[in-house]
Amino acid sequence: MHIPDNYLSPATCAVMGAVMVPVWAVAVRKVRTEVSNARVPLLGIGAAFSFLLMMFNVPLPGGTTGHAVGGTLLAVLLGPWSACISISIALLVQALMFGDGGILAFGANCFNMAFVIPFLGYVLFSVIRDVSKGRRAEYAGLAAGSYISISVAALCAAIELGVQPLLFRGPSGLPLYFPWPISVSIPAMVLPHLAVAGVAEAIFTVAIFTFIKRVSPGTISAAPKPRFRGVYALLVALVCLSPLGLLASGTAWGEWGIGEIGKMVGYVPEGMRRGFSFRALFPDYAVTGMSGVIGYVISAITGAAVLVITFKLIGLARRENRRKALT
Amino acid sequence: MLPQWLLRDEQYFPERDRDIFIDRSIRTLLTLLSRLRQREGGSEEKVRVNPGVRLGSTLLLILLLSLSRDFLFVAYAGALLLAILSVYRAELILRVLKTSLPIATFTLFVMLPSALWGNTSGLIMITLKVFFSVVAVKMFVSTAEWGSILGGLRIFMPRLFILVLDVTTRYLVLLGELSVSLLVALKLRSVGRNSRKQSSLAGVTGTLFLRSRQMAEEMYAAMECRCFTGSYPRGSTAKISAVDLVPLGVGALTVAVFAWTGMR
Amino acid sequence: MIVLRDVSYSYDGIPALSRISLSVARGESVAFIGPNGSGKSTLLKMISGIIHPDDGSYILDGEEITRSRLSDALFARRVHQRIGLLFQNPDTQLFCPAVWEEIAFGPRQMGLDRDSVDARVLDCLRLLGIEHLARRAPHNLSEGEKRRVALASVLALNPDVLALDEPMNGLDPRTKRFMRDVILSLINAGKTILCATHDFPYVEGVFTRAVVISGEHCVVRDDSYAAVIGGTAFLASLNIV
Repeated sequence: MHIPDNYLSPATCAVMGAVMVPVWAVAVRKVRTEVSNARVPLLGIGAAFSFLLMMFNVPLPGGTTGHAVGGTLLAVLLGPWSACISISIALLVQALMFGDGGILAFGANCFNMAFVIPFLGYVLFSVIRDVSKGRRAEYAGLAAGSYISISVAALCAAIELGVQPLLFRGPSGLPLYFPWPISVSIPAMVLPHLAVAGVAEAIFTVAIFTFIKRVSPGTISAAPKPRFRGVYALLVALVCLSPLGLLASGTAWGEWGIGEIGKMVGYVPEGMRRGFSFRALFPDYAVTGMSGVIGYVISAITGAAVLVITFKLIGLARRENRRKALT
Repeated sequence: MLPQWLLRDEQYFPERDRDIFIDRSIRTLLTLLSRLRQREGGSEEKVRVNPGVRLGSTLLLILLLSLSRDFLFVAYAGALLLAILSVYRAELILRVLKTSLPIATFTLFVMLPSALWGNTSGLIMITLKVFFSVVAVKMFVSTAEWGSILGGLRIFMPRLFILVLDVTTRYLVLLGELSVSLLVALKLRSVGRNSRKQSSLAGVTGTLFLRSRQMAEEMYAAMECRCFTGSYPRGSTAKISAVDLVPLGVGALTVAVFAWTGMR
Repeated sequence: MIVLRDVSYSYDGIPALSRISLSVARGESVAFIGPNGSGKSTLLKMISGIIHPDDGSYILDGEEITRSRLSDALFARRVHQRIGLLFQNPDTQLFCPAVWEEIAFGPRQMGLDRDSVDARVLDCLRLLGIEHLARRAPHNLSEGEKRRVALASVLALNPDVLALDEPMNGLDPRTKRFMRDVILSLINAGKTILCATHDFPYVEGVFTRAVVISGEHCVVRDDSYAAVIGGTAFLASLNIV
């Protein structure tokens, strides 16, 4: 679910970042005031834990494996605000160190995984647990919360990606960023999450919660008491409303009117309807300048750099071989 | 003293079971750990440019790359990045390419069908943009010490985030090693059919969580012993020197190229 | 039974074992001695089939242990059942919610019926003197108790070979003496013992043979235990005592 850079337009990234900034600001304030200083190291170590959770392969029925995010679990164990900070930090480390997820798309990725998952999962968990009390309700709440929240997060990612070809296109009508419309992106993203990743998330969340509850019940009771408050309703509303914000921002930029949004789901790319076509390679992008002196200079620099890099890598491979031969 | 069964030789012939998740998890975690260790070793290649300036110019380049609709600008940015990359040591080049090439290939794969209906420009532009953006980030992080990256990030983030980030990266190695050990312990005793795979894995990760909590408590105690009051002083950030004029100049040139290609 | 020929191993380019050759017969009790970081733990991991040599060969009962051989799950499981490894840090070895389940984990997988699993667990608990801990969570136990639980969980598989990585580390003197007695009785029962250790006063009379590994990750001496420990000057020259 980690969206790389250039899949989303900078405008979308800006909107998603703008949504996250107040969330982070509130989260930092909440953690500072409501929670004692002792929690600060826990946030960092929680982030490391959440990073590692994403690395585990969860066994699924049928012998296959899947990955989990563990957002709902962290929200239940640490509280949703702390979970939000911890997962954001884990995502930042992934983006910076491993190139998993883009830098500009950081806001969007945080929105999907550090905001939607912990808050939605937490709200569902606490509502189900409060409605029908008892142990079973607790586990049902956890399973439902984790399964639904990760699927909704995938849906958010699919919408963010899917609106790109609607909103951001060049003069010749070709998409400038992610090319697939919502009618493709939603099934492509959401179905695997409903079928595999959601199951992995639910199994994993319930199993770890059970283990911790059995081994160290104090940890669970020390976790912040789930309370369903207005603020969470507001957050859920925000989750639902932000795709609309996306559309609004896009129409302000691009050449699409409100009327076009209605066509969103049934959208078929122009070229797709017409079938395969040999268009000019770069109809939307100015490449004419490439023939001039500047184009020559750029090609020369690129060519020289690629040659140097290739020779260095060959040299490295040779050194490795020699080292192996010696030992 | 010893029970009878312990004195006998065990005549045991294992059954088949699909517990590939253990091996897969170990493999992913080992890759992570070896990359984290590379990071520690990578600091010898210190670039003397101020980390804040380098972070700023990297972000600027990524932003302009994403905004640009002109192939000439993308080509310019690519030439610039590759030219700088070619000065790096071969090991660092390899490290940068190992991260960026798979992501670019994945993008190519995602975009490929759209080329069939004429979106060849998107295919090439978006793949190149993705590739160069990841190259830019990797070039920055593989030549900067983690401390100086944090210093650079200070400008953009609240200090609580920076402190948390610092703790995270330090404990990532520790907890990563712990997870590998626990998974190996699980593997060593997984000698037959395990009917409760999920709860075994939950044992590993649950133990990991409880241990994390314990570490966090110990760390807080250690912080308090050294008079932690709840505020985090701003670390000294490197001063801007004459060397920094080079990236600033390149940055200005990049903005100029961007503006020029945008106006054509 | 265990034969290593010129094995080398390195972690991300940092050498941990360098051209080690060694052979251990059934029923032998061997101490591995060497400074911190000399590669004792790596060697035990290799013998346990967790890692495989970069160079050289490891032969267990006439069969070479290679990467491809270990990727055969059935073969790997057989190796893991035959060779029990006690980790240096018991914290990283225990992952079950209760001590009883921790010990039952292996036997349950081996397809034993419920009664024999229970009998084995009970025997292991008695052998290590931890019956009173059966319902406790391993996570909350003391260091010495964790070590006993870890050893019990390994013994429950009834391995032929026990690879013990500093089993006395961090224990109080009484527990150290207790561990010594357990190891001795395992040797008397015919188990092969490979043990990395520094606690010379507490392992007096346990081992018949000592293999000394230098800081350069090579075997520098392979002799009877008494002869190696007798020569303090030799150990001092290797920064061991």
